Amino acid sequence: MIIPYRASYWSIVSVWIFYVLAALAVAVFVFGVISHVSVWSRGARRQGMGFSGQGVFNLFLDGLLGRRIFRGDVAAGTMHFLILWGFLGLFVGTVLISADYWVYPFLKGAVYIGYSLCLELFGLMLTIGLVWALIRRYLQRVTRLERRIQDLMVPVWLLVVVLSGFLVEGVRLSSQRPEWGAWSFIGHGISLFWSDPRAVLSVYPYIWWSHAILSLGLVAAIPFCKLFHVLAAPVNIYLEGQPDLPIPAETATADEETFSTRQMIFFDACTRCGRCVEVCPSTGAGESFSPREFIAAVREDLLLRHDPLKSLDWFARWSDSRKTEKPDLDPQMVWHCTSCRACLEVCPVYVATPKVIERARSRVVEDGTQVPPLLSQTLEKLYKYNNPWEASKKNRAKWSQDLEIPDLTKTGEEDALCYFVGCTTALDTRAQDLARSFAWILTHAGVPFGTLGKNEPCCGDIARRVGEDGLFEEQMESCLALFERNNIRRVVTSSPHCFHTFRNEYPTCQALRPPDEKVHFDVRHYTQVIGELVSEGSIRFEKRLNIKVTYHDPCYLGRHNRIYDAPRKVIRSIPGIELVEMSHNRANSLCCGGGGGRMWQQDLDSKIKMSEIRVREAADTGAEIVITACPLCLIMLEDARKTASLEDTLRVMDLNELVVMALGLQSESEE
Amino acid sequence: MDVIVCVKQVPEVIDADLKINREATGIEKEDLVMHINDWDNYAVEEAVCIKEAQGGTVTAITIGDDESEDVLRRALAMGADKAIRIDPGERELDSFVISKILAKVIKDLEYDLVLTGVQADDDNSGMVGIMLAEELGLSHAAVVTGVQPEGDAATIRMELEGGLDEIAKIKLPSLLTVQTGINDPRYVSIMGIRKARNKELAVVELEDLGIHEDHLTPMTWIEEVFIPPETTGAEMIEGDAASVAAQLIKIMKEKGVNI
Repeated sequence: MIIPYRASYWSIVSVWIFYVLAALAVAVFVFGVISHVSVWSRGARRQGMGFSGQGVFNLFLDGLLGRRIFRGDVAAGTMHFLILWGFLGLFVGTVLISADYWVYPFLKGAVYIGYSLCLELFGLMLTIGLVWALIRRYLQRVTRLERRIQDLMVPVWLLVVVLSGFLVEGVRLSSQRPEWGAWSFIGHGISLFWSDPRAVLSVYPYIWWSHAILSLGLVAAIPFCKLFHVLAAPVNIYLEGQPDLPIPAETATADEETFSTRQMIFFDACTRCGRCVEVCPSTGAGESFSPREFIAAVREDLLLRHDPLKSLDWFARWSDSRKTEKPDLDPQMVWHCTSCRACLEVCPVYVATPKVIERARSRVVEDGTQVPPLLSQTLEKLYKYNNPWEASKKNRAKWSQDLEIPDLTKTGEEDALCYFVGCTTALDTRAQDLARSFAWILTHAGVPFGTLGKNEPCCGDIARRVGEDGLFEEQMESCLALFERNNIRRVVTSSPHCFHTFRNEYPTCQALRPPDEKVHFDVRHYTQVIGELVSEGSIRFEKRLNIKVTYHDPCYLGRHNRIYDAPRKVIRSIPGIELVEMSHNRANSLCCGGGGGRMWQQDLDSKIKMSEIRVREAADTGAEIVITACPLCLIMLEDARKTASLEDTLRVMDLNELVVMALGLQSESEE
Repeated sequence: MDVIVCVKQVPEVIDADLKINREATGIEKEDLVMHINDWDNYAVEEAVCIKEAQGGTVTAITIGDDESEDVLRRALAMGADKAIRIDPGERELDSFVISKILAKVIKDLEYDLVLTGVQADDDNSGMVGIMLAEELGLSHAAVVTGVQPEGDAATIRMELEGGLDEIAKIKLPSLLTVQTGINDPRYVSIMGIRKARNKELAVVELEDLGIHEDHLTPMTWIEEVFIPPETTGAEMIEGDAASVAAQLIKIMKEKGVNI
């Protein structure tokens, strides 16, 4: 009995040609990879990319198992798993063959049989995965999937490679007829088509060479098509675990690329899956923006500008002429984003489009000519008067004029609870109710607190979101200086935006300061404070409120900072309340449209306002009131309720106002 | 194409509580935020756009104390190449004096075009531009809403009354007073201003210019600034829409409106 073994290059002559072609394919592949890496290295401010355990963990879960691909689309996750593991298995199998041929022949006997069986299974997985992929894209026509030529060619090419592989095996088995042939069950099945072992011997080399050339061609093509994500995405997934390094605005120079190295990788990691497009509120409102298109447009632009081949004159001329055919990157594209983070939430490979848009905006703002006029005026007001609303500082504390709240800049109290009201809450008439309500609540619960009175600066969030980094730094400096001067250590904010900026952006920016210059303070959002007061019993709801309400998760409280439960707990602790959820809630809540600086811009080209889409969703739950926990959401939804003609069916209330209503704290000034 | 732009720093008064100063010659400026005169901002933008299209330089000039350098830095950040501040010391200024001073400085510079704003936000005189043109012996046009330099002349558009515009050609060098709305002034970021710190900003003392005392004596002076007295006379018209409309038409006809 013959021990099962593998006859490499059986019936193939001039094998050296194969190695030449392979070397060529690998060279092209390597060149392609180097092109991309050189584009990445042009990114500004290289960051340390050290070892990260979290990164490895994510790499395994998201890179190999594709955890995030399963979310919301189990079919996609399964299909991709089959393709990825099928391909990986076959790839490892090929490596093992080389090892067996060049190093030591270990593929024999039971090992070889096990190996053959596994590879059949991997090949089968890959085939099923690819066919499934083609069905999803071309028969089921899943909306978010594109149907460009590339999208057809890549799976078809791969399918032809794997099927031709089975064919090669089948033809070989029909000639060799080894005893162990049945273990390679698919090849075996194919081999049964020919009874005469000599029948296809003459065509075997052709089939073998076709399979070889197609496979090598695929390898060479990887860096030049969407397949490059198989290399870029794992890098990106690994880096997701790394913390962002702070970069002072001063260091940006005119020639330097806008994006950091880390961010440059995003553009190649994108798999064009379209999940971001499905959840983007701007796209949903019919605007001319989609995260996928933005990433693709920037990617093309970066490649055209930084391709290492450009050092060759003829290439530079060719690519410049190509660039003039395509329209320049439209800077106006950047203004649509509300920085709601819905895209990053669903992206299987962690492409942080909101961050990229922020960086792109910083370039547009620095150039100055593509900044919408209304936004321009808003930033000027912010610079001169510390708020984006009024050309004056005098009304900052007007909301509290009847309330006798201590001004912490004057009392010199140490360790007092500082209620950081925020620009919008302090100055917008509707949002001022939020502040008054919170003040009543704290007083009722016996919690001593103060505000910064007329001297309250802006936290700088707006400047940061629209890319005015210089202005953000100035606002941050004056905020920190004020906190330090007045010994402010505990802060509670009205707005999730202020909360987010204090909690996440300030520490990063302060990381560059020497330790003795850092200003430490603890910040919470008011929903957390009220939640605590309810749990510890300082607030007790006695009155019954028999109303049906729904809760709108603000993007900056929910998705950005993962606070979903605290507000819901508070609502549910009011007796009689029925809390129903909208179809988009918690991590996939729909943006109200006010973030990312859009509160201070003209309406863009939407078919229907984002805020209207949201209030209709609220009304559809049958709730009488939609509760929110952000002053911007409050204003946006309040306005939308009127323009959507829902004034009689739906009310909009802030959580503070609901609590005040439940505690019966309304003063005479409220009707 | 070398362009000179004259800019002025004025207080921002949109939402401010204005108080008349003790001498009743003006307003209290201490608590007010200073910024570039709106018209001058459009002029700077126009100058920079011309430079971006045709090459050349832009020089920004102002008369003011060191706080007014902010306005020059802003112009430099927008794209001006250099700036000159003339420090007036304690001198009283009016439009006549300002135009004499500017003329003295500009006379020695190389330029094809001088741009000023139509008027300044604080006194609304609207005189400096044209007086400066006369001092320099330049052709001039006022309330310009479009400039297209072509060689040694420029095609300009001017705003007339009654919604009419005039298009004309003017020989360079010339002075144009620029109307708001001529363009969309770019946003000036903090980073932009920081980066412009390296550009040239020269300071000249008024006393060093050697201007004759007669030319530095104001020809106008403010007698009194006061808040207009409140008057009565608002008539409230009640009723339903139809009767209110009828009443309104009757009143308008009585007052002589041709309906």
